[in-house]
Amino acid sequence: MESIDLVKVYRNKETVEALKGVTISIRKGELFTLLGPNGAGKTTFLRIISTQLLPTKGEAYVLGYDVLKQADEVRKHIAIVPQDVATYGNFTPWEYSYYFAVLRGMSRHEAKEYAEKALKAIQLWNLRNRTCATLSGGEKKRAIIASALASNADIFMLDEPTSGLDAVARRSVWAILREMVEQGKTILLTTHIMEEAEIVSDRLAITSKGKVIAEGAPEQIKRLAKEKFRVVVEGSLSSLGITESDNRVSRFGSKWIIYLEDEDDALEIVRTALRKGLKAETAPVTLEDVFVKLVGGEAE
Amino acid sequence: MNVKIVRDILVIAMIKSIPDLKRSPLMLILAGLISALPLFFMMMFGAQLSNGLIGAMVATIGFIGLMAAIQDVAGDRYLKIREIIVAMPVHPISYAMGIAFAPLIFSSPGLLIFVALAIWLGVLTFSSLLWSIIILISCWATLSSLGFLISTYLQRASIYTLNALSNLLGIALVFLPPVYYPEEMLSSFSWIALLFPTSNAAGLIRIYSGLLDTSIVMILARWLILLATMIACTIATLVKAKWRES
Repeated sequence: MESIDLVKVYRNKETVEALKGVTISIRKGELFTLLGPNGAGKTTFLRIISTQLLPTKGEAYVLGYDVLKQADEVRKHIAIVPQDVATYGNFTPWEYSYYFAVLRGMSRHEAKEYAEKALKAIQLWNLRNRTCATLSGGEKKRAIIASALASNADIFMLDEPTSGLDAVARRSVWAILREMVEQGKTILLTTHIMEEAEIVSDRLAITSKGKVIAEGAPEQIKRLAKEKFRVVVEGSLSSLGITESDNRVSRFGSKWIIYLEDEDDALEIVRTALRKGLKAETAPVTLEDVFVKLVGGEAE
Repeated sequence: MNVKIVRDILVIAMIKSIPDLKRSPLMLILAGLISALPLFFMMMFGAQLSNGLIGAMVATIGFIGLMAAIQDVAGDRYLKIREIIVAMPVHPISYAMGIAFAPLIFSSPGLLIFVALAIWLGVLTFSSLLWSIIILISCWATLSSLGFLISTYLQRASIYTLNALSNLLGIALVFLPPVYYPEEMLSSFSWIALLFPTSNAAGLIRIYSGLLDTSIVMILARWLILLATMIACTIATLVKAKWRES
């Protein structure tokens, strides 16, 4: 799956450049995440590559099929979960999975088989005949994901599938996504949850304002930052000989995060802080730290 | 039309009707009741029930054609069902026709009651019934296409705007023109009946039922207008309706 210089411009009351030349290549059998703040162009990209939206310029291919000229072929191989998808109250999870599988061209027997598999995999089998109106938010979301799973497609495109889910439900979705990848499926995921991107992705692209600003495995992305370690200190920084205006420092109320290139320097600051009676700890930088640096830098 | 397209029409019609029929059967009563309501008033004020029955048949078809197409497409957009289906190997014709057929399943009991009453009261004979079915199908196809076209063009309109618009159009096309009442009541303005697919259809059924006397030229003119409107709306939907957003 790849896009070459995709551009999307919306011309309404004002002109908005949602994508400014996005080139991405997604390998077969990997979970690729588009990570970006709201308005970064993630959904626009996903809607173009899933044949719902036409780009203003550029090319996109799925399994070698041209998204613009061979949309029918592309559609045979993909299943999507749109962003902020709502469920119809009178539908049951079974109806979502079964009817959509039939609509994809499966026989009734096949559709039943795949609907059952999907609902069991997503742990909704016991609730399959309850109407969506009576399900919790997480269960509704899982019903939609199950309907995509039941398609047995080769490629899944999920637009922020875990937004609004609690931590437990989110982790169960992550487990399912990784299981799908182990079964040889390709997944394109969009999210703005850093932890999600770091844990589930094989590779990811950080997008901001319609552009890809970094691409690679989560560990590779983390190495893009000059500073490799962070020290969190609670209390006054002046006793550590660090000024508040230092550009390595970020403030969160009474807590400070200091970013450092060298682990020994980080440990030294922690030791000094502890000696002075302050709370302090150090850890390697997170994907979120790198994301904020990259996207923040982009904003500037 | 290949087998997959026909199969998908039926599946979409089932998706859009069976769960509601199973879990909200009151909607079935409501679908028939809206069209039947004017009949009660007509009876109370001593108007001819035969004209009202023909109006109720056309109104049932008109409402479900126009309103259901707009409201269903708007609802699907809100629930993102349309997005999911667009990204599936489903032909846009299957979606449009599935959406149009679903309310037909809903309204068929009400429609059958009106037809049965019309036959029982002698308003419809066997031959006029056959003509009526053809006329009703043409009217349904016209208004469904129109509804589908409107909803796919108003991509950014909210579900509330689309619902209000469909209700307004329903009133404008079903209650205002001579659908429930004979067009002779409009005297010199009776030609207005030809302009609306609903009142034109009702007029044609009245002609075949012997309730309206007119020349063969006028009958041909009415058919021409009805079929031309249907073909124009259907072609416009096929050509202009936006399946994939640009």
